Amino acid sequence: MGVELNRPKSITQIIFEKYKKVVVAFILIILLFVLGEIILSNFLRVDQVLLTLKLASFTAFFALCQMIVISAGGGGLDLSVGYMATMTAVFTASIMDGQNGNLWIAVIVALAFGVAVGLSNGLLTAYLKLPPLVVTMAMANILQGIINVYTAGRNITGKPSPVLTIIAAKSTGSFPNVVFILIVLTILVMIVLNKTKLGMILFGVGSNERTAYLSGFNVKLVRCIAFTISGVLASLIGLLLIGNMGIAFKDMGSNYVMPSIAAAVVGGVSLSGGDGNYFGVILGAIFLQTLTNLLIAMGWGDAGKWLGFGIVLFALLIVYVSNRRTR
Amino acid sequence: MSKIIKAEQGTSFIKGIFKPEYSNLLILIVMLTLTAVLQKNFFEIKAIVRNINAFMPLILLTMGGAVVIISGGLDLSAGSALSLFTCVLTTVMKKNDPVTGIYALLITFGVAIFVGVINGIGIGYLRIPPVIVTFATSYMWLGIALFLRPTPGGESVDWFKGFYNFNAVQGAPEILKKFGSYIPPALILIIIACFLWFIISKTKTGRYIYAVGSNNDSAYASGINTAKIQLMACIINSIFIFLAALFFVGQNQSGDARMGDPLTLRAIASAVVGGIALTGGRGSVYFALVGALIMSFVNKIIFFANIPNAYQTLVSGLIVIIAIAGPIAYTLYNRERA
Repeated sequence: MGVELNRPKSITQIIFEKYKKVVVAFILIILLFVLGEIILSNFLRVDQVLLTLKLASFTAFFALCQMIVISAGGGGLDLSVGYMATMTAVFTASIMDGQNGNLWIAVIVALAFGVAVGLSNGLLTAYLKLPPLVVTMAMANILQGIINVYTAGRNITGKPSPVLTIIAAKSTGSFPNVVFILIVLTILVMIVLNKTKLGMILFGVGSNERTAYLSGFNVKLVRCIAFTISGVLASLIGLLLIGNMGIAFKDMGSNYVMPSIAAAVVGGVSLSGGDGNYFGVILGAIFLQTLTNLLIAMGWGDAGKWLGFGIVLFALLIVYVSNRRTR
Repeated sequence: MSKIIKAEQGTSFIKGIFKPEYSNLLILIVMLTLTAVLQKNFFEIKAIVRNINAFMPLILLTMGGAVVIISGGLDLSAGSALSLFTCVLTTVMKKNDPVTGIYALLITFGVAIFVGVINGIGIGYLRIPPVIVTFATSYMWLGIALFLRPTPGGESVDWFKGFYNFNAVQGAPEILKKFGSYIPPALILIIIACFLWFIISKTKTGRYIYAVGSNNDSAYASGINTAKIQLMACIINSIFIFLAALFFVGQNQSGDARMGDPLTLRAIASAVVGGIALTGGRGSVYFALVGALIMSFVNKIIFFANIPNAYQTLVSGLIVIIAIAGPIAYTLYNRERA
């Protein structure tokens, strides 16, 4: 009996178990597209799919921030990413002023903003043990306040540098350039998280704080760094956002925050930390975007869109994340 | 070892004050004094009534949210649920037919129970992380609310104004009007909520809510039906939100599918300021009320201190962090010194 239990599983079994959620997410996306094609008859077109990919990549970028913070455990979540990106976009718009030569200054400013905000989030949550949900919410308020103060009595001026526009808004052929960025980022993230010690430390701290501590890792430092990375990434996403939109405005990033958390969860990131696969997260983002597109295309208006979004997400959570106790 | 015990026994006044709970009372007193200095007519009955009216929805949402948080959950759908209830109330009511008010009350109460049950099933029975499941349900409530009321509006019967101000109701008894100018309906609704929680906290359910929140697995192992308790907590929350919705419709005579959105996170922040631990199982609902008062006075003070409009979100964000960090930083500092 025991021998049978310990029998090594076949490779296909291992792959399936490890990537079960990825496979399911993939099937769901295809299902949505097929459903859209049946109902609307021109939903499954190449340009439509590519547009979905492009829109989804921004959610996926934000979801990377969430994934890193959530994986580090301790109830981590980063609600400040939206306004972090907005702040960077608003401030760098006037710095860049449509000149390529100013891009490097904008990047440095973005990095500085990201480190400052991310580090304060990290210090407050990891070292003072304040709940991340409230701290990052308050931080979002503070950033929103800074934007309000900056924009009070003046217009947000400036344009993104042309390079940024090419990266974020333009397409090569019909393939959006920003998707290339996402692909490169995915490969990088997968390598760092799966093949280097960094990923092990991050997931180790997230899955069992005490074990990680006893094995000599500085749990607080790791969580603090996770928040800092999230801040820096969000800030850089701000550059991409303004590149895509062409102008900066007050609320450009705030609509991505909760969908990015949802994408992470749908993509198989455990909210208690220590688990996550960025490829799944991207599929989660694509799924949510496809769903939104489909619901918009159905023409039920705002009410139908949000109701459908809520119900499908709820149903998905039941199937996916539910951890029912069996008596 | 003896040193530690000694340090804990030496309950000097300062240390007592800096227990997270009591430090909140201190902050509240400071805020009250500040507001009293800034607002010239602070102690006049009219000003007090106006303040209570302005604070009331946040107070009730915070108390409800606190119950859910103590039971180990979290409610991100509170704001949308509040909007939904206002939309249902104003859709059912017909302006010239006073009886529809009663139907509206009953139907909306049913909707409130339904909202609580759905959230409770997600959190308790299906054990989906509360943050994400209530996020999903918040979109459901928003969707239904928008379906009923795409733009703010709707009708309300005349006597519904009584939930806001007895004086506004035509033909109300003089004595009630007199009473209402001292004790506003908003305060009565808050007292009803406090009384409800007082009764519940004395029952088994009340104690189980704490047990489930502090350690779900242990509570389950000792025979508590944890899922049912979390469901109950969600229903209690929903009823508190329902009370807030009554007040809101009484005040505005209209429903708005978006009005509650900004309250959701503020209610959670208020609960945390009031000493409720987001990990569950710790804190007091009455102190959550204090937290909500603190958060409300923050806005009041910002308003009266003549801080430019643009700075308001910035300052209130900073104050939230200071309010939750202060007591914790102090205890950390004390522990390291001992």
